Parts: sequence; structure tokens; C-alpha cells
Amino acid sequence: MKVILAIISILVPGLWNCTERIEVKVDSTFTRLVVEGYVTTDTMAHWVRLSTTSDYFHNQPAPAVSKASLRLDDGEVVHTLREADTLPGWYFTDSDFYGIPGKTYTLNISDLDIDGDGLMEEYSASSELRRVNPVDSITLRYFNAFGTTGYEVQVYAWDSPERDWYSFKVKKNGIMLTDTLTEMNVQSDEFFNGNYTHGITSQFLSNEKPDEIVEIGDTITFEINGITEDYYYYVIEAQSQIFPQTPLFSGPPANIRTNLNNNAIGFFVAYSAEYSSTIATSDVVDGGVNQ
Amino acid sequence: MKLLPFLLYTTLFSFFILSAAFPSEGTSSDTEEEINLRYSISGHVKDASTGEELIGAAVVVEELNRGTVTNVYGFYSVSLSPGFYQLKFSYIGYESAIKAINLNQDQMINIELTEDIQLLKEVTISAEGPRAHVRKPEMSVNKLQIKSIKRIPTLMGEVDVIKAIQLLPGVQASSEGGSGFSVRGGNPDQNLILLDEATVYNASHLMGFFSVFNNDAVKDIKLYKGDIPADYGGRLSSLLDVRMKDGNMKKFSGSGGIGTISSRLTLEGPIAKDRTSFLLAGRRTYADLLFLPFAKDEDVRNSQMYFYDFNAKVNHIFNEKNRLFASAYMGRDVFGNVFARMAFGNQTYSLRWNHLFSGKLFSNFTLIHSRYDYELGTPEGEANSFNWKSRMKDYSAKADLNYFISPEHTLKFGVISTFHDFEPANAKGLGEQSLVTEFSLPSNFALENGVYVSAESALGERWNFKYGLRYSSFHNIGTATVYNYDENYKPTDSIVYESGEFFNFFGGLEPRLAASFMLNDVSSLKASYSRTRQYVHLAQNSTAGTPLDVWFPSSPNINPQISDQVAVGYFRNLWDDRLEASVEAYYKKLDNAIDFRDHASLLMNPYMEGEIRIGDGSSYGLEFLLRKNSGKLNGWISYTYSKTERIVPEINYGNAYTAPYDKPHDLAIVLNYEITNRIWVSGNWVYSSGLPVTFPTGRFEYMGNIAPVYSNRNAYRMPEYHRLDLSISLAGKDKPNRKWDWDLNLSAYNAYARKNAWTINFVQDDNDPNVTHAEMTYLFSIIPALTFNFHF
Repeated sequence: MKVILAIISILVPGLWNCTERIEVKVDSTFTRLVVEGYVTTDTMAHWVRLSTTSDYFHNQPAPAVSKASLRLDDGEVVHTLREADTLPGWYFTDSDFYGIPGKTYTLNISDLDIDGDGLMEEYSASSELRRVNPVDSITLRYFNAFGTTGYEVQVYAWDSPERDWYSFKVKKNGIMLTDTLTEMNVQSDEFFNGNYTHGITSQFLSNEKPDEIVEIGDTITFEINGITEDYYYYVIEAQSQIFPQTPLFSGPPANIRTNLNNNAIGFFVAYSAEYSSTIATSDVVDGGVNQ
Repeated sequence: MKLLPFLLYTTLFSFFILSAAFPSEGTSSDTEEEINLRYSISGHVKDASTGEELIGAAVVVEELNRGTVTNVYGFYSVSLSPGFYQLKFSYIGYESAIKAINLNQDQMINIELTEDIQLLKEVTISAEGPRAHVRKPEMSVNKLQIKSIKRIPTLMGEVDVIKAIQLLPGVQASSEGGSGFSVRGGNPDQNLILLDEATVYNASHLMGFFSVFNNDAVKDIKLYKGDIPADYGGRLSSLLDVRMKDGNMKKFSGSGGIGTISSRLTLEGPIAKDRTSFLLAGRRTYADLLFLPFAKDEDVRNSQMYFYDFNAKVNHIFNEKNRLFASAYMGRDVFGNVFARMAFGNQTYSLRWNHLFSGKLFSNFTLIHSRYDYELGTPEGEANSFNWKSRMKDYSAKADLNYFISPEHTLKFGVISTFHDFEPANAKGLGEQSLVTEFSLPSNFALENGVYVSAESALGERWNFKYGLRYSSFHNIGTATVYNYDENYKPTDSIVYESGEFFNFFGGLEPRLAASFMLNDVSSLKASYSRTRQYVHLAQNSTAGTPLDVWFPSSPNINPQISDQVAVGYFRNLWDDRLEASVEAYYKKLDNAIDFRDHASLLMNPYMEGEIRIGDGSSYGLEFLLRKNSGKLNGWISYTYSKTERIVPEINYGNAYTAPYDKPHDLAIVLNYEITNRIWVSGNWVYSSGLPVTFPTGRFEYMGNIAPVYSNRNAYRMPEYHRLDLSISLAGKDKPNRKWDWDLNLSAYNAYARKNAWTINFVQDDNDPNVTHAEMTYLFSIIPALTFNFHF
């Protein structure tokens, strides 16, 4: 849906041409705990980042929240996370940790005082880890439209008969390209439940971004995640509030949902991951001009 | 508690209706017989050169200093005791005519008025006769002459009736350059927009920058902002009544224009002189024809982007008592490029039959069909290829009768029934490759009815009353699937209704009352109360709205919206009637006001009703208008102070919040000055408070982005808005044997290039991701436009 609206806004001529910075004075709001945390099916040291909100024009990295106690409960075992010495506010599991599809993970945070009243607070959030179908294959397709060039990542896979929610990411030579919330693509199977995808375009690489330029021989890896409906809407809401908004298409600005309690914000999510790779060949790169 | 006012009202109402039907007006020496012996003088008032009926022309019985005005079909009727009378017919910009009558039987007198050659000379005749503005028990109404609208400088030179009404007190543009408007704080979907009696569901072209009305085809517009007449219902805030020209009855003629973005041509003329005439009007933009072919980029070259309007009308006079009008409007916007295409548009059709049962009883019977649809899709052959359609259709039948009892009493009554058919969405994949499954939201059907009676009565020299009662009802009809929702608005189960099954009913009374009291010859006090009910609503969550917004009916989950409005006003003519001044204060209360949850998903959502949050609203304001209709210098100044709030339990933590179209201060100065007969200049300056907005008061980091933490809803305001538009026009020399005339208009929209913020966004710095900026987007700098108009 959002893609459609974005296309329409391209059709409205010249709307984005006249933009300039202005001074806006805004008030402050109370400080909240911010949680960003992931449990995936990959075996690695998983992390949870704790920080706090700040004034909108704070213009400094988010203040880290250190010395908290973090426990991850999978319903059977409780894992303890440890704060990294060099990265204040980042808490890690052991490096052999991996999530198991079907389990529900609960993150418990304690021993911290965000509101500064001298009393310790506790926070928690839970997420189910949903499974995801493997991807058969991917292909790259060069595009050149309206002066923009790049690649569509086309995906061949079965959507399961159940309702699914996905996030799509892309790596080049092992390095994550879609490493921000706004570059990640999330999708619900509402309109194609149970169908084969026939190479649907699921991510874009743009030659306007230096790290996304593809050369012959590059390995492009597509990552598909089976996410929860709640996280899907978290990303949709966050993207809609971070992308520019217009009086034509945007509803009133509104705070982004969270799965944390006790006035904390952010999201703790568990998801499964599958991968599929392709090597960029000369007939694809730059539309085959180097052949 | 609500019963008492209702009983009081119905008692009063019956009293007035009875007093109107059996008038006891007159001196004590009047006998029953004399009163009963009345003859009617009736007929049509027309333009002598075109035969077009004049709406709202004044007909005054000079001996009694009483009169009437022509209705929307140019018809008037006065019933008087036998005797000699002089009737004076007048209309703004026309020479008055006086007719001496020996009234000894019912008479039919059609009058043709000649346009004043010395256009708008310094003799004051307001549109509805001298001081009608002061005397009539009608308030919160603005009428604009199409002639004066044509002189208002506009965006890209496109004369636009909706842009003109946005300059009136109590009316606000819903976004910069847009043709959506908010009346007294109401939502844009609370305006009933009628074109020859047919509802126009989306009055916008090109994302709202132009309206669907081609000014060359429009005869008359009238905006009711409060006291909506009992004849009309179905919307809370306003009625915009647009009437198309009927077509020249005397000779073949045409008019048109070549503008910066569009050209238009209107042809009209008699098919049989003084009996049958036609009108055809077309308008099309041509950016795609003129500019796109020269674009460097092939993809831009192959894009489509245009809109058109087509108006057609035929009318035939069978005899003095019967006349038929058939009107049609078709308009469409088309956009397309390599990625996507979109098209949307309205169609309206109305067939009207004017029938005179007698000189006193005028009737009009109408059949109406109106529809709005859009489609959206991508090219075929891709995995994501799809086509998506949405459509709504109305079929209405309507009867309206006007009974002219005496110069003091007029009675109107009628009935309307509308069948609504909503098809909110149907999407399917295109081609074999597409993985999109067909997806349809079920259609909704409903029947909306209204029956009304209203009367206008003069009581003595000073009092004038208008009192009407409308009863409206609404039935949902199967086939339908109605979902039930739990307290968290999650669907729990559903009920399926069979085809043709009436499964839900709403109905209620809508009293409409107004009174005026003449303080003296030139000033009056007025007051009005009106209740309106709205049964169909627009799922629009953004301020400017998009063509994709869909209408939806009230249902077991959605009660009708109800508005109660009271207004008081002081009206006064100044400077020998050259100036009309008015001050109005209003208070409006909304029940079951519709808003939407945060992050609502309104399109293609089978559970859309679960996105709706119901609350209450209120609005109050003070409106000033000073207007000069004639003379070399004419125009108006309007100023509004207002405040509009909403309370919805699930929004803004249940606290009251400023409504999205609330602008406390709103000023418009609209002036036109004729330097010579051939050269005139126009300008308007608007100033208003910025629209309310929600800004971030905090931020947080997540996955490499900075995300906002917001203030309370609408706690801030956009920067104040102001803009000056100017135009200068030069008309061709008036030569006696020239068959055509022309004028050339040069306009500048936003003449001092004010950067008015259209939206303010908060963005991350490109170089330092820790830094955020506020960034405003403005749409228009100074926009010059040249338009050539001709008329023959």
C-alpha cells in the first residue's frame, strides 16, 4: 500500500522541489527507556541495546543505559545478557546462542532508574519466534527509470498457507546494505497468501548510494525473516513517521507502537531468517553494457 | 430532557404552518372574502440577451413595499387582492423593469431584463433587491456572482468557484492551493456539493489544486454555512449549490479561453428559439501535450498527466407550465508512467421537470444519478502487476413544491429518496505472472430518505421568519457483511445479510429555524438554529485528502453524525446601500463526530469500521463581512475568529484537541478596480493562522534511524499563512459591429513569493546522523499566468 502511495506522490509534479530548513521551537518531554533487541535463528552473540529518549534537537548520540540486568527467557531456560565493556548500553548473549522457531522469548530488564526517582524499575517485552519458508532463488534485474538506476532483487519462494509477515534485507559480499529501519522492507501476505512469488521485487539497490553499487562478481545475499504481526506494524508505523509526511497522504502524526511495558519504547523482536544468494554477472551489471 | 424542546418546537411549528396556510395578515377591516379573493401574478425573470433565468431576482410590489425573489428556476409568484399594482423587477448588473398591472385574474408575466451597459455602475441593486440582505430571514449564506468570481486572481489563471468561496468568512481552504474546504471548522466531507441537484463526491482535480467546476458553464453559486434550508440534508456543515447555465435561448453563442495549463470552450444556443436550448462545455489541461513530448527522459515523455471536464445540458419549454432540463457532467483525471497509472473522476446526471400546477404552486421533479470512481494499477507482466478499482453510485428521485400563498407567506415541501451503492475496493492481479490474489471488499447498499416542509412568513413590518422541519432516515440494505468488534476494536464475528434485506435503521428530525427583525430600514438582527444529520462519511485521514479516499455509510457500528448550530447576526447596509455589512456569531456542537485511530488503515481494509473512533466536537466563531457589490471599486473584506475542538476518548489520551482545520484568525481582502471600461485590476490578500500540527518533543534511536516521540495531538501550529494575488485584465475595444469580444488576463499567484509551509518534516542530517533538522516544504513561489478569454 505504502509503495502505491509513494508512486502516486512521484506523479504529483514538483512537490518536493521547494524544501528548506526552518527553525522550530519544541518543548521537552519526560525521558523514557528505549529498547532495541533481537533474537534470531542465526547462531551468534545476540544483542539488546538500552538507551533513553532525548530532546528532539539533542543532536548527540542517544544516552546509553548502563549497568542494567537483562535476562532472556525462552520458556525453559533463562539466559543472562552482559553489557559490553567498549559499548555502553549494548548487552550481549553468549556467542553460541540461537533462537528456536515456535518458542516465545521474553526480555526482562531490571536494576535501572530512568525517571531518576531513586527507585529501581523493571521492564519486559515478549515476542514469538515465527518460522519462515526457505527461498528457492533470487535474481537481480537492472532498472533505469526517471534518471535513477539500480537493481531490483527478485525473489522466488512459496508463501505458506498461514498468514505471514516478512522483513527483507540485502547483503553485498557479506555486508548488510539495508541496515536501517527505513531501508528494511516489510511485507504482509494479505494479498498473496499461499501463492508462489514468481520473482516479485522485494528489495532495491540504488546506484545513488555508493555502498549499493554492484560490480561483476559481487555476491548479493537476500535475507527473509518471518516476523510477528506486531513487529510488522511497528516497522510500518516507524517508517511512516520517519519518512517525510504530506498533507495529501499522511494521517496525523502519532507515536509508534511498542511491545514494552512501563512507558518504555522501542521493540524487542524474535524472528527466523533464511538466505539466498546470487552472483552479479556481466549481463546484469549496468544492464549488460559491459558484456 | 430532549423531549421538551421537541414538543415545544412541534407546537410552534404547527402554529406557524397553520398561520401561513390561513393567513390572517391585514388590517382589521379585511373580511374573510376579501382575503380569499387573491389572484396570482407569476412567471419567470430572464436575461433579455440569452434567455437565461435569473436566480434570486427581486420582484417588488411597489404599493405594498413587499416582494419576493425568483427561485432557482427563475420563477416568482405573488398573490394579491384585485387592484392596480406596479411590479418592479430588478437584478444586480441589470436595468430594472417596472410593469403596471390591473389584477383581476391570475396572470403570467415573464420579464426579460437587459444587462446594464455601464457595467456595475454606481447604482446599488444587490442581487436580491435592495436590502434583501438585511430583511431576509436567511443568515450564514453567501452568494457570489460568477462575474465577480471571474475577476479574482487565481492559481495558474484557472478561475475556480471553490477558491472564491474559500475567501468568504467561515470558510477555510483545507490545504494550500487545494479545493477542499472546511466550513466553520467542519471536515471537508461535511459539505454537500450539488451541481444541478446532483451530488459531486470529489470536487477536485489534480490532487486538489483545481476544482471540477468549469466557470464558463456555471450560472450561479450559493453557499449555506449554517442555516441550511430544510430542502437539503445529508451533510453537517454546508451546502454549496452550483447551478449550470441552461443554454442561450436567443442566439448561438460561445465563450472560451486559452490558459497556461488548460483551454476551455463553451457553446450554447437555441435548438428552437425561446423553446429549446443546449449548452456544451469542455475543458482540458495540456501539460502532457505541450511539455512532456519535449522532455529529455523517455520515461517522462511517455507519462500521462491530464484532466478534463465536460458539461452538457439541454432544456425544453413545452408550454408555460412545463419545462424539462437534462444536465450531465463528466470529468476525469488521468496519470500514468512506467510504474503506475491512476484515473479518477465524477459523473453526474440530472433530469428535472418544472411543472406549474397553478400560478401559485410551482413544482420540480428530479431524477439524479451521480457516481465517483477511481482505478489504480501497474503495467501488466510483472509479479506485482495489479489493477484496483473503487466506485460509488447514487440514484435519487426528488420532488420539491413551492406554494406561494401570499407576498407574506411561502410554503415549501418535498421529498427525496436516494439509493447508495458503495464498492469500496476490488483489486486483482494482472497477467499470469502476477501473484496478487483477487481481493474485494463487499459492496454496501443503503437507502437515504428525506421529507420536509418549510415556510417563510412576514409578520408585520419588522419580523420575518423561516421555519422548517426535515425528517431524514437511513436504511442499510443487504447484501452485506457486518463485523462485530470487541472493546479493543478487534473483529470478533460477523453477520451476513441477504440481498434486499433492510437490516439497520436510523432516522430523526432536523429542525431549521431562522428569524430576522428589522431594527430600521437598513439594519436587522437575525438568529437561526439548525440541526443536520449525516449518514455517509469520507474515510479521509489526511488534511488535504486524496482521490483514493472512500465514502462509507453509517451502519450498526457507525451512528450518524449530528450537528446542532445556533447563530446570531447583525446586518446593516451603509452608505446608501452601497456597502453590505454583517457580523455573525455561531456555536456548533457535533455528536458522533468521526475520527480515526492513530496509524489508521483506511483503504482495502475489511475491518475499516474498526479504525473509526467516535467523539464529540464543538466550534464557535465570529465572522465579519463588509462587501461592496457595485461601482468601479468593488469586493469584500472578511475576517473570522473561530475555535474548533474535538474530544474522542481513544485519541490524545481522551483530552480535547484542536480540530485539524482550526485557524483562529482568517482574513481575506478581495478587491477589484475598474480603471477604464477596458482595463481592470484585481487583488486579494489572505492571512490566516497556521493549521494545527503535532510536532516531536523527543526522539529515540532505533536501527540507525532517529524516530520521533510526539507532543499531544495538534499542540503546535504551522507558521502563519499569507499570500497576495494580483491580476490585470485588458478587454478588447467595444466596436458596434464586432461579433465577438475578448479579454486578456495576466495574473500572479503569491505575488510576493511568500514561502508558505505546506508541510514541516523532521529529518536526519545527511552527514551527521545524530543531528536533526526541521524542514518545511512549500508548494508555490510566485506563479504568473496568462489567460486569453473570448466570447461571441
